[in-house]
Amino acid sequence: MRKDWRDVLIFAAVAVSMPLIVLLLIRFTPQPPIGEMEYARETLSKAGKNNADTYSKKLYSEAKIFYDSAMVNWQKENERFLYFRDYDKVAMFAELSAKKASQAGANSISSTSNLKINLKQKIDFLNDLISDINELFTTYPLSSEIRNRISKGKMLLTEAEIAYKKGQYLQANRKITDSEYLLTASYENAASNLKNYFKSYSVWENWVEKTINESKKNRDYSIIIDKYSRKCFVYLNGTKKYEFEAELGKNWVGDKRVKGDKATPEGMYKITKKIEGRKTKYYKALLLDYPNDEDKEKFKSEIARGSLPASAKIGDLIEIHGNGGKGIDWTEGCVALTDKEMDVIFKIVKVGTLVTIVGSMVDLQNVVNR
Amino acid sequence: MKNKVLMGLATIVMVAVLSGCGKKPQVEIDATNAAIEAAKTAEAAVYVPAEFAAVQDSMNAINADIAVQESKLFKNFKTAKAKLATTLTLANQVAANAAVKKEEVKKEVETLMTEIKTVLEENKTLMKKAPRGKEGAAVLEQIKTEMATIEGSVVEAQGLYDSGTYMDALNKVKAAKERAVGINTELKEAIAKVKGKKK
Repeated sequence: MRKDWRDVLIFAAVAVSMPLIVLLLIRFTPQPPIGEMEYARETLSKAGKNNADTYSKKLYSEAKIFYDSAMVNWQKENERFLYFRDYDKVAMFAELSAKKASQAGANSISSTSNLKINLKQKIDFLNDLISDINELFTTYPLSSEIRNRISKGKMLLTEAEIAYKKGQYLQANRKITDSEYLLTASYENAASNLKNYFKSYSVWENWVEKTINESKKNRDYSIIIDKYSRKCFVYLNGTKKYEFEAELGKNWVGDKRVKGDKATPEGMYKITKKIEGRKTKYYKALLLDYPNDEDKEKFKSEIARGSLPASAKIGDLIEIHGNGGKGIDWTEGCVALTDKEMDVIFKIVKVGTLVTIVGSMVDLQNVVNR
Repeated sequence: MKNKVLMGLATIVMVAVLSGCGKKPQVEIDATNAAIEAAKTAEAAVYVPAEFAAVQDSMNAINADIAVQESKLFKNFKTAKAKLATTLTLANQVAANAAVKKEEVKKEVETLMTEIKTVLEENKTLMKKAPRGKEGAAVLEQIKTEMATIEGSVVEAQGLYDSGTYMDALNKVKAAKERAVGINTELKEAIAKVKGKKK
């Protein structure tokens, strides 16, 4: 009987002490940083929604690494005996992750906003640049390489605009950078070429003045060809009487240097012959005294300097002729007018009429502002 | 003797209670992770990024829940199991949605490719009719260069399409079409202008 009582007592003691031990174990067991981990996770998710993985990549990936480290440490600690667990590192990593994720989110929002503004400005700038290029260089004989680069630049700009509209700012930025490089480099190259071309403007200005004065003094006709604007002006008594569209040699930029260079010469010339009928294949033609003494001198000095090979020949047979109106610079160096305009001009000019060919009658500043 | 048997039974019941629902749902975890991986392979991050991020967020929360339970003396993975089942379904759905979206983008690229080829052909015909008056021929020369660039861009887009990067191909072909249509409009306007003048 006594033994029975002893067993009951032992059982009761065990039954009471077991939950107590368990409760004590729970009470004094180190607790994991659940709140900190949840906060880190939420901050990380929020940063992701703000595209921090794209626009604040470094901070975001650091935040992720810290979060993963917190999880790994948590799992590691869970494997240890209840009392020996230490979640300090877990809490530390969670805190670091939340901090970095918060920075990444904020950074992403501000980066996106700045990038968006910056991209819009660049898109506007490049569109303006394209307008300038179209305005200045549509008929300017740029090299095919430059034309290709401008065309590729335009295409990249369109791709950038599409990415921008979709909110893909990084992609847009990459395209803009490539487009900007192609367009600005091409523009600078073309602009420097143009600037170089206009270096002789003061000489041209002088020739134009002389030609108009001659027309006034002699009460006669004189002709001025403006290569840049592709115009043929006919003056009578110093006043402009006619204005025609002119077509030039394919490489009209710069003075004619050598036979076959397809350049239209610059200088003050005179009509030496009026040709019509079967004697010309260009309807009617006015032969000029190219090369004049100045051209011959220039050619000789180029040969002497070695800038032209000794075998080079000076060009000749430069005319104002018909068959124009093609809308393109196609001649071998001559000036082409339409047959109708040729009829007008052919009738009023004579052998000895002054024909001045200049790069431009307007200075570069005015050409750019036009 | 009777008491000893009772004690033994009580111990077994206690152990059973303590360990009941206490096993980590590894099979479910592996299955859900595999489903997420499959969604990733289906390029869910590219085609349905928001949905994919939601699945990843869910999985992160579940992993934390599991870690919480593993920290406890009395583990209970019931909630985690239920969440895993939901996330598994969601991941499968996201993978399916990504495949649908990818197919849509693919079809859009194919349509645009066909359309742009038609526009380019039309542009070539229009070029022959385009006016060559003042600056006309020079502009046409410029258009020719632009057409060559557009054709190059279409080839690049085709390459992207062939390699399965439909989203990049879409952006490229869209830009090419925009430029080709721009040229088409420019040419049509120039032709109409000349026709108007002739009347």
